[in-house]
Amino acid sequence: MLKRTKNIITSREEPYKTCVMGNEGIVRAAVESGVNGVFSYPGTPSTEISEIFNHIYNFQHNSENEKLYPQLSFNKIYFEYSINEKIAMEKAIAFSIGNKSAMCVMKNVGMNVASDPLMSVTYQTIGGPLVIIVCDDPGCHSSSNEQDSRFWGPMASVPVFNPSTPQESYTMVKQAFGLSDLIKLPVIVRTTTRVSHTRGLVNYGRINNRVNDAIFERLPEHINIPARTATAHSKLINKLNSNASKELFKQNIRLLNKGKSNRNCIITSGVSTTYTIEITENYDLQHLVDIIEIGMIYPFPEKEIIELLENNYDKILVLEELEPFVENHIRNICQRNNLNIEIFGKGYSSLVTTGEFSLEIIREVIEKFTESNFKKQDNIPLDNFENYLNQLPPRPPALCAGCPHRATFYLLKLAIPREQNELIMCGDIGCFGLGALPPLKMIDTINHMGMSISMAQGLYESFHSSEKDRKVVALLGDGTFFHSGLSSLVNAVYTRANILVIIFDNRTIGMTGHQDHPGASHLPKYKEIEIPPVLKGLGIEVVETINPFSIRDSFYKVEKAMAHKGVSVIVSKAPCIFLPEYVTQSKHKTIIKVDHSKCNTCANHLDEELACSRCYAPKNNLSRAKSKLMAENNISGEAQLCPANICNHGFFNSILEGSYKEAVEIVRDKMLFARTCGDVCHRPCELFSDKNNFIPIKLLKKTVSAIDNNFYDFSAPIQRVKNAERKNKKVAVIGAGPAGLSAAYDLVQQGYEITVFDKEDKPGGMITFAIPSFRMDKNGFEFEAMQLKEMGVEFVFNTTIGKDISFDKIKNNFDSIIVATGLQKSKQLDLIEKNIKPENKSDAITFLKSFNQNKSLFKNNSNVLIIGGGNSAIDAARAAKKLSQQNHVTVSCIESEEKMPAFKDEIIHAKNEGIDFINGSFVNKISEMQNGKIAVELNDFENKSKKMYSLECDYVITAIGQVGDNALNMDNKNVYDENGRINNFENKLEIDKVFVAGDVCAGNNMSLIGAIASGKKAAIQVRKFLENYKYDYEGDFALKRLNDTQIPHYRTNNFDIDKKELEKYDLFQSCQKCNHCIDNFGCPAMVKVNGKVQIDMSRCTLCGLCIDVCPNNAISWATVEEETIN
Amino acid sequence: MSVKTKILIAGVGGQGIVYLTNILVEAAMISDISVSVSEIHGLSQRGGVVTAGIGLGENCSGFMKNAGVDFLIGLEPLETQRCLNYLHKNSCVVFGNYKMLPYSVNAGTSVYPDIVKLMEFLKSQCRKVVFVENFPESIDAVNYNLYLLGKMAVLPDFPLSANIIERAIENIVEGKNKEKSLRIFKMGLLEETTI
Repeated sequence: MLKRTKNIITSREEPYKTCVMGNEGIVRAAVESGVNGVFSYPGTPSTEISEIFNHIYNFQHNSENEKLYPQLSFNKIYFEYSINEKIAMEKAIAFSIGNKSAMCVMKNVGMNVASDPLMSVTYQTIGGPLVIIVCDDPGCHSSSNEQDSRFWGPMASVPVFNPSTPQESYTMVKQAFGLSDLIKLPVIVRTTTRVSHTRGLVNYGRINNRVNDAIFERLPEHINIPARTATAHSKLINKLNSNASKELFKQNIRLLNKGKSNRNCIITSGVSTTYTIEITENYDLQHLVDIIEIGMIYPFPEKEIIELLENNYDKILVLEELEPFVENHIRNICQRNNLNIEIFGKGYSSLVTTGEFSLEIIREVIEKFTESNFKKQDNIPLDNFENYLNQLPPRPPALCAGCPHRATFYLLKLAIPREQNELIMCGDIGCFGLGALPPLKMIDTINHMGMSISMAQGLYESFHSSEKDRKVVALLGDGTFFHSGLSSLVNAVYTRANILVIIFDNRTIGMTGHQDHPGASHLPKYKEIEIPPVLKGLGIEVVETINPFSIRDSFYKVEKAMAHKGVSVIVSKAPCIFLPEYVTQSKHKTIIKVDHSKCNTCANHLDEELACSRCYAPKNNLSRAKSKLMAENNISGEAQLCPANICNHGFFNSILEGSYKEAVEIVRDKMLFARTCGDVCHRPCELFSDKNNFIPIKLLKKTVSAIDNNFYDFSAPIQRVKNAERKNKKVAVIGAGPAGLSAAYDLVQQGYEITVFDKEDKPGGMITFAIPSFRMDKNGFEFEAMQLKEMGVEFVFNTTIGKDISFDKIKNNFDSIIVATGLQKSKQLDLIEKNIKPENKSDAITFLKSFNQNKSLFKNNSNVLIIGGGNSAIDAARAAKKLSQQNHVTVSCIESEEKMPAFKDEIIHAKNEGIDFINGSFVNKISEMQNGKIAVELNDFENKSKKMYSLECDYVITAIGQVGDNALNMDNKNVYDENGRINNFENKLEIDKVFVAGDVCAGNNMSLIGAIASGKKAAIQVRKFLENYKYDYEGDFALKRLNDTQIPHYRTNNFDIDKKELEKYDLFQSCQKCNHCIDNFGCPAMVKVNGKVQIDMSRCTLCGLCIDVCPNNAISWATVEEETIN
Repeated sequence: MSVKTKILIAGVGGQGIVYLTNILVEAAMISDISVSVSEIHGLSQRGGVVTAGIGLGENCSGFMKNAGVDFLIGLEPLETQRCLNYLHKNSCVVFGNYKMLPYSVNAGTSVYPDIVKLMEFLKSQCRKVVFVENFPESIDAVNYNLYLLGKMAVLPDFPLSANIIERAIENIVEGKNKEKSLRIFKMGLLEETTI
């Protein structure tokens, strides 16, 4: 850079040939012309001009350079990045009035901002020469429109040059300085992207080191008042058409290819000249067409052109990009001079007023105009190359890896989610405008520079006038804020708009290559202006400065600013990655790695074919990501596993997202009983987890399945059955309790033909008969159970194995059998059996069965004694009380209250309903008395001989457990344990193809979820047996824990389902359906290869934000050494 | 010089396309060949597509047209494929197997093209194709550009000789990178690359 800077300010006595960009040629020409001051606002394609002057300024103002290179520092050129183009233009005009040579540089749209001073100063006067460089952008490579700046010439009555190459740019800028000095008018040199950004040969010459002394002359022209303007206008026209202008016309008309007999002519201006010369030379057209290039296009060189055209040509083709500026002049002068020449321009062949020209377009037009056929001279293109161009992935620009803007957008996604309201976000010009593209998509409008705050306040006012008071968000960069955002913000405060303004303060003007602005000046010549005090000075009440990389800290500030009514401003401050002040978050030799065992992996099952209703939608993973960062309690999914292997993590996150339907479907991916489990599951997933830190899965299940629209829609599982590949295998399930039905549910979805046998007349087993109706929704259960019928399961009711149908017959007719008959026989106490008449006693199951049929086994106003401490005892006790409030119910059990197997919540319910408990007691004596009452003597269970309590009752219910009743009619006693349960928990039954599930399966936990899980496990065993299925039952870990561990029962659930409350929790687990970082973050250093995210360390800037972003906790810091070892 | 040659360099922002262009311009200046360059980089620093066209010879601009490119250096395979319309049956192509996945490929909404197919297509139709499947491990990705330039420089008809390009690198590159750059360029010249 130093070499280049020195080169550009070194005077050359002999022409020095070099190959430079058009923009660099412009700089050199200005330097050679002795420019004293350059004023600019950066904007592509003009940017390099101001950048080079910035380098020159820094070089010349470096005291060491002054000593080393005194000649190069002799004529110091002042340079500044003004805050906007209007100020740049005004200051350049004033600089010139101070008798200095000035230049003002901007892009096409900058002229709109700068036009106000230009339009009037022409009526007045300038001092030193003033040259304006405007760079147009046909094709909009980097601009918001493709306006044609040549029209500023007639509009403002100033001369306009229109170069076609770097060399011409150089020459015309030099002429412009000379002309401006002579006629005391600003002169415009207008280029386009293809001229400014093309590199070509330029010959450098001598530098004019003329030193102008600063002078201010008190001229009447400096005061612009209406009385003077009318005469000033005609003076202006005279200046414009002075001889000085006319002398330059001839120099700027080039006649090429002059053939003796050419009757055709192409008139060109700008880059079209380059295309035309190349095409005519390529196809040897020199003898067919003349070319006239017009370089100075305003004032238009009428006389000179007429002379060239007259009597020479029959046909003229005008080639110029954008508007027919030259063409209209040609048509005009031909008409006025009665020239009978056919003129072709816009509308001819493929000549349009939009976009850029290219060699292709010019080739096609000239081929037609010259009536030639170029094809035979062309190279042969590759055969069928079009096939290889179809559907190529586009490569739109993206925010850089480590860009603070991405961090801010990501924060906004979390803090002010757009899905939940109709938030409008008004963007602005700058790098951060890329936030409008996927995956960020956080911008709804982008207009011209500085419009964002006006757009937000205008939209606010529009809604406000319809009495819809919503806050609108404006987003703009720090450079834009000073360019034109500030004045709009003053208006917003003044008019009491309700808007949130977010200033993306990356400490530079990023888009155009990192220029200074008042908020971030890196040079001593500028004074830095801090943004927050300016905002506070305007009376804005909520002004928060955040570091976008600290999402946790910034989140609440953004929420607060959003909630504020009125103007609130967030300054999101972090340096652009290209600035020296950007520091990575890492230490030496650190890299970022992704643990692929956690990325896009399902923690719930290995078998990816299993149903998963978790949605892929990007927003779904957003709430996981948010809860990871913002929740107070981060709970690992492993802490809340379900024995039925329901994806509790997916279930909870669906609820956080408000997708209750999806939550129900996730339950139904694994089992039938969403509502029933919500009612009566004893929730091992909660009870096993850390003491005070768990998510109330059961309560949530109850809540989401209580929504009838969701609950009664069973189409998804039914569709799965339809889609399943038919296995053509028949499986018999004996027993329609929860274990049998769960096995049937899983197998039917895998394409098996299922027949369920039961001795009762309806499904459910213990759920239907033993759980009292006040604890659960019986209709809901029946609906759930009978969906199996819709799924194609056949039910055979009122059929007892061994009585109505032999087990052997079933064995012969089915490919596999699942025995899930439950434990039908209640245990009995000998003492009661001997001493109490049948009408005064029953077991709990019999009693509850009659209760569920609305029948009572005893009269109202009875004293009832329940013996037992399990859930059946409590169910029976509460049922007895429900039958009549006059019934007096006492429960005697051997356990202390803490050790009772019944659910704590149920015991509390029972106590509240007036049921008495005599804990630690057993029936020592019981007898029937003369009056029909039963006398009971209870002793202390610890100290058996110690009398504890005596009571009289009318009825006794025993609830001391269930035993098997030889369900399979088998003689081999080894099959059963001491309670008559079948000893095959690990599937070691002697009988081939028979599997056992539920309560009848020895060792299995006797509970609803225990039964469901064991039914699912039996289904897996059947699949292994019949189809060599390779996976073990994936809920086995939780099921084993359930079977092997004493569940702590002391915990109650006092959780309110409230969104705010739920948001305090995060249940995290890696998820196969996570695409969060790609869908919401989109860092270009993150690439997805074979379904796993990788960090491309050649692009990573070690900002470390992805570590926070990954909801799976799969990304972390690592040292280079660690990674090499791995 | 009357022969006109068009060279196109294609890749992604940050791959050093402008840098290669500078070297070729310098080499042309040393050889006293008229040179012109057109670069298009909308938002190069932000990972967009960058192409640079170099025209050697009088009135031969850096602008490209269909079937008008004689030499293509592809720093990225997808961007190489995007330039197929510029090639003709007499073109020479040098490209490397350093993929940079665009966002849509990451997001799974589009598919990265099959490089083997591209290679076979080019091989069957162009005059000469050099495909660097594996870059030497000693070279960082940022220097692949010089290695590929070396591969291009040894092609018989390439108008700028390897010696001249070496001189150009010496003139252009400043400081300690000079030697490294020369070394990598020479590696490209020497090592056999099979296609």
